[in-house]
Amino acid sequence: MRTPRAAYPVTWRVMDMLERLAAAVWPSSFQRGLPYLMLLPAIVLVGLLVLGLVQIGDTSLRVLDTSTFLMSEDYTLANYQRVLTENFFATVAGRSLMGSLIVTAITLLFAFPYAYLMVRTPSSALRKFLLVALFLPFFIGQVVRAYGWLIILGNQGMVNEALGLVGVPPMRLLYNYPAVLFGLVQYMLPFAVLMLAPALTAIPNELEAAAASLGAGWVRTFRYVVLPLSRPGLVGAGLVVVTLSLTDFAIPAILGGGTQDFIANAIYDQFFRTSDQGLGATLSLMLVAVGSILVGVVFMLFGAGTLAMGETRK
Amino acid sequence: MGVVDAVQPAVEPRDRIAVSVKDVSMVFGNVHAVRSASFDLPKGRFLTILGPSGSGKTTLLRMIAGFDRPTGGEIFINGQPVSAVPPHGRAIGMVFQKLALFPHMTAAENVAFPLKMRRHDARGIPEKVERYLDLVRLGGYGSRRINELSGGQQQRVAIARALVFEPDLLLLDEPLAALDRKLREEMQLEFRRIQKELGVTTINVTHDQREALVVSDEIIVMNGGSIQQKARPVDAYRAPSNAFVANFIGVTNFVEGRVVELAGSRATIEANGLHLAGLAADATLAGGKPCAGAVRAEQIRVAPKDGHLDGLETVVDGLVVDCIFEGERVVYEIRVPRLGGVLMRVFDHDPESHLQFGPGDAVRLGWNARDMHVFAK
Repeated sequence: MRTPRAAYPVTWRVMDMLERLAAAVWPSSFQRGLPYLMLLPAIVLVGLLVLGLVQIGDTSLRVLDTSTFLMSEDYTLANYQRVLTENFFATVAGRSLMGSLIVTAITLLFAFPYAYLMVRTPSSALRKFLLVALFLPFFIGQVVRAYGWLIILGNQGMVNEALGLVGVPPMRLLYNYPAVLFGLVQYMLPFAVLMLAPALTAIPNELEAAAASLGAGWVRTFRYVVLPLSRPGLVGAGLVVVTLSLTDFAIPAILGGGTQDFIANAIYDQFFRTSDQGLGATLSLMLVAVGSILVGVVFMLFGAGTLAMGETRK
Repeated sequence: MGVVDAVQPAVEPRDRIAVSVKDVSMVFGNVHAVRSASFDLPKGRFLTILGPSGSGKTTLLRMIAGFDRPTGGEIFINGQPVSAVPPHGRAIGMVFQKLALFPHMTAAENVAFPLKMRRHDARGIPEKVERYLDLVRLGGYGSRRINELSGGQQQRVAIARALVFEPDLLLLDEPLAALDRKLREEMQLEFRRIQKELGVTTINVTHDQREALVVSDEIIVMNGGSIQQKARPVDAYRAPSNAFVANFIGVTNFVEGRVVELAGSRATIEANGLHLAGLAADATLAGGKPCAGAVRAEQIRVAPKDGHLDGLETVVDGLVVDCIFEGERVVYEIRVPRLGGVLMRVFDHDPESHLQFGPGDAVRLGWNARDMHVFAK
């Protein structure tokens, strides 16, 4: 005997109705196409980006006519020549590249113990505290945070006041390279920790106990067991940090005070200050190229780390 | 069932003791994981700590390995107190429950790891690794990565890695629990063979009573953090020291009642109006106190209702509830109305009489008084 329909919860009946509706609109013979249909929004988004890239490529081949402020009609490689030969751009590129590498190294160094402690601590209270402390900066935007550092590190800021108490004269802590790197490390730390934590979770506790019972103290357990096994996490975190800091705009702009421009700041200047869209587009493409090459080299040397998904992951 | 050695001396000289556990306790918060455990293990013996999950057996093993520090008592290895010694400072090989092989190394690199960490002469390492891989019958597999080996082969790598640095003590933390039955029984014999070949003192932890009986020289049965009995397998089986051990090892039927008479080693109990004779197996028995008579499933004989069970002191009538064919034996579940309807399990190992009774048949059960061990409740 069939149970009366009313015996089922309302949500079930709503679901039944929706399924019948879906079957009418989208017959089961179309089902094979469904996954592709669901991919469509992503393809449209990426496609727009590619179109934009083509547009930028087109712009990068035109020079600005300074008398009319119009882009030239015919194609030329003059912008590329300027970017590759002028000292200013080499300085900016070198500063950005070196900065992103230093920031990555320092960030990983700081993030590793943080992630390790967060993953391994037996105290759930400590784990929650570390997680909250990690996520709190995410709620404060990058720009607001950078302004916060201006207040703390300024000539009349907290740090200089504290130094004054112990008799150290006020010093300039802002608008220099270390200030930018400091701000970037502080900004990148949560990303690195979040990328590292799953990789460290994947290392069974038992392996470290085994290493200890086999005669390895903690230094060698770390060197021979934990470090090699956390490589996927380090590679993934490193890639994220290096690309984000290489392309960062706000922190070099605010904490560098215009004296420590990264590539993104130079691009901004070309587009919005000198209105030389051609040069800006060229710089943008160069940044995309440098970033891609960097990521490609890391992929070739170390594999994709936690960014490699599916079966190929080692 | 195990290997019955010649009579062992009751007390070992001090320098023959490999591990000595003295009043060791472990308290996590308000949980007493181990309560005042004490035992001595002579060198070269294979000891199994047997108990249900949560009995404290793994905690005890982890304290011996050095991963946890006892909250009370002291552990001595070769006569030296070791509570303050970290795991890497102890010469203990351990095979972990999930093996804990290093996935980023080959089998040979795994086996070489303890030699490198313990600063053995680098020139001797390859030869030694090869020898131990041969010992566990994995010669030629050294260059395989761990994920290219089968479950049984991984077990063998883990054993080789735990033994290659010639530790004072080998600890096995239920490494066989995840294997299928056939492989598990094969590996049990393998553990025993390797242990005898090298003569290394071994402590094994398991909840598998069959494994404990098969591999060990001695068994410690634990429950609720306390050691219930320490005995040779054959003694633990034949003369369990309390109702828990009797129930945990083997298939045992319990008849509940109270003691009516104690005369030397004989105890008579009254259960549901019947007087049953048994063996007083518990020193705390006293007249009038509640008790339980324990009879092994294989000590009970079954006959048809009008049949004879000559020479058996206790005979009761029963009704077959179920009969389970297990291949080499049949297990009968028989309800005994005269004993308050208790359900007794009886093994029939005679292939000729297999399945002679079916559910609903009236039968007669009998056992000898010496086969019923009476424990205090």
